[in-house]
Amino acid sequence: MSDIFNGTVEKNPHEDLCVVYVLYFDEKKGQIPLLMYPDDRFRNNKRYMRPINFHPVWFLETEELDHIDLEYKGYAFFGKKFHAKSQRPKRRAGLEEDTPETIVIIVSLPVELEIFGDELIKELTEKLRNQFEDQLTEVIESGIASDAVIKTPKIQERIAKGNKIKVFMRELIDKEIRDYFSRVIEKRSESPSLKTQKAISYFSLKGFEFSPLSNLRGEGNFASVELFDSTIQKSEEIRTKSLFSIASINFIENSQEIEITVQNNSDKELKNLHITITHVKEYFEKEVMNQEVEFWFPQEELLFVSPIVPHIDEYLFSIKKGDGRGNIENKLSQRIDLKLINKITS
Amino acid sequence: MSKEKINDEDIIIRNYRTSDYQATLEILKELHKLYDIGLREEQWRESSGLRQFKPNLKRITLIAEFKPTGEVVSMGIIEGVKNTLGQYIGYLDNWATKKGFIGKHVGKLLADKAIQILQSWGCESVRINLPYEADNKLLNVFAKVGFQPILTVLEKRF
Repeated sequence: MSDIFNGTVEKNPHEDLCVVYVLYFDEKKGQIPLLMYPDDRFRNNKRYMRPINFHPVWFLETEELDHIDLEYKGYAFFGKKFHAKSQRPKRRAGLEEDTPETIVIIVSLPVELEIFGDELIKELTEKLRNQFEDQLTEVIESGIASDAVIKTPKIQERIAKGNKIKVFMRELIDKEIRDYFSRVIEKRSESPSLKTQKAISYFSLKGFEFSPLSNLRGEGNFASVELFDSTIQKSEEIRTKSLFSIASINFIENSQEIEITVQNNSDKELKNLHITITHVKEYFEKEVMNQEVEFWFPQEELLFVSPIVPHIDEYLFSIKKGDGRGNIENKLSQRIDLKLINKITS
Repeated sequence: MSKEKINDEDIIIRNYRTSDYQATLEILKELHKLYDIGLREEQWRESSGLRQFKPNLKRITLIAEFKPTGEVVSMGIIEGVKNTLGQYIGYLDNWATKKGFIGKHVGKLLADKAIQILQSWGCESVRINLPYEADNKLLNVFAKVGFQPILTVLEKRF
C-alpha cells in the first residue's frame, strides 16, 4: 500500500492483497493500533495511519451498522466496530474499570479488489471476536505497559503476555486471509462478473501465482489460492499442456543477477528452445538474455542466470519452441518482479 | 573396496540433479580439505550443479553414479567460456572422486565424457585447473590423454 504515499517505505508483497488493522480507542491518546497485518512496522507512521484515523467507523455510535467503507487514493477501507469487555482501570474521569473497550477492525484493499471487502471484514471480525474478545483487554494493557518508563518484572510479564496473544491473532489473520481469497476466487471464477474479472486481472498484474498448473511457490504467492477448480489439476489433458514449470527464482544481490530454475515436465526430450529475458523500457522491449537450448532432457531442471539492468525491477522470462519450419510457439511466460522474489546474497 | 578397476557398465555418467546436492557437497568438502579450492558451503546450493546457461557461459556438472548402489562417486564441472580474445575454451573444474573410488578408472570415464561434450560445444581446446602442488603422477595421467601444462594461474585472495 506504500504507493498511495510518496514516501519510500519498504513494501511487503502481501500488501498488494490487503492490509488489516486492529485498533482500539484509548481514552487518553485516541485511536491506537494494536496490530497491523502483514507489516507492523508502520503502526506509528502518521502518514501511513492517516486514512485510518479519519475513517468514519470511528464516529459510529453503535454496532448496529454492519460495516462502513471509505475510499481513499485507490484503496477501499472497510471498517467494523465492536465492544470488548474490559477490566483495566481507565485514565479518564467518568469511565469505569468495566467500561468496555472500543475495538475497530479495518481492512484495506486496492479498489480493484473491493468486491471481496464486505465478506472479508465480516468473517475476519467474527473470527477475531470469537477467539480473542476476552483477551483484547490484555493486549491493550500490554500496549499501555510498554510505554512505561520503568518496566518492573510485573510490567514486563504483562507486555510479554500481550505480545504472545498478538502473535496468535496475527496467525489467525494470516490463515483467514489465505483461506478466504482461495475460497472466494475459486467460487467466483466459476461465473466471473466484471468486478471479479477486474480482481483477477489485478492479481495477475501483481504477480500472484494462483494456477494449480504452476509449482512456483515463492514469497508473495498464495500456495493455497487457486483460480480454477482444483479437480482440473488432476486432468491429464491439462497437465500435458504445462510443459515447463518454474521451480525457483532468486535474485543474487552480490552479483546483481537473476537465477531462474525451470523444469521440463514432459517425458520426452525437447529441442530447439529459445529462452529470453526481457524488460520494457520506454515502450520498447529490450533483451537482457537470449539463449538457445538445443536439447532439454525429460524432467531435467535447467538454470538460467542473467545480469539485471540497474533500476529496472520488472522482467519477462519466456520460453519459445521452434518447430524447425520457422514457426515459433510461446511455451511459457513468467513476469518477474525483483521486489517480490527471493533474495540471496551469494 | 579393492584396488581393482570398476567395470565401465557399473558407472553411469549423467547430468547433476538437485537430489545429488548432499553427495556432491560431501565430495567438494573432501576436495577442499585437501587442496583449499575456495569452497564456501553457502555458495554451493541445490541449483548450483544444474545445467546452466548464462550469457557467454555454458556449464554442466557431470556425475558418475555407481550403478549397483546408486551412489554418487565422482563429479566434475565443465564450462564453455568465450574469452576476451574470442576463443571458446572448455574448462574442467573441481574434478573429484570419492575416497574409496580413487584410482579405479572412474575419473577417466568422467573426463572422457566431459571432453566429448566440450568438443560437441565447439570448444577450441580444453583446460584443466589443477592444484599448484599437484604431483607428477597426476600430470602424467593427464599427459597420456593429451593434456600439456601451458599456464600457471596465480591468485590473490581478498
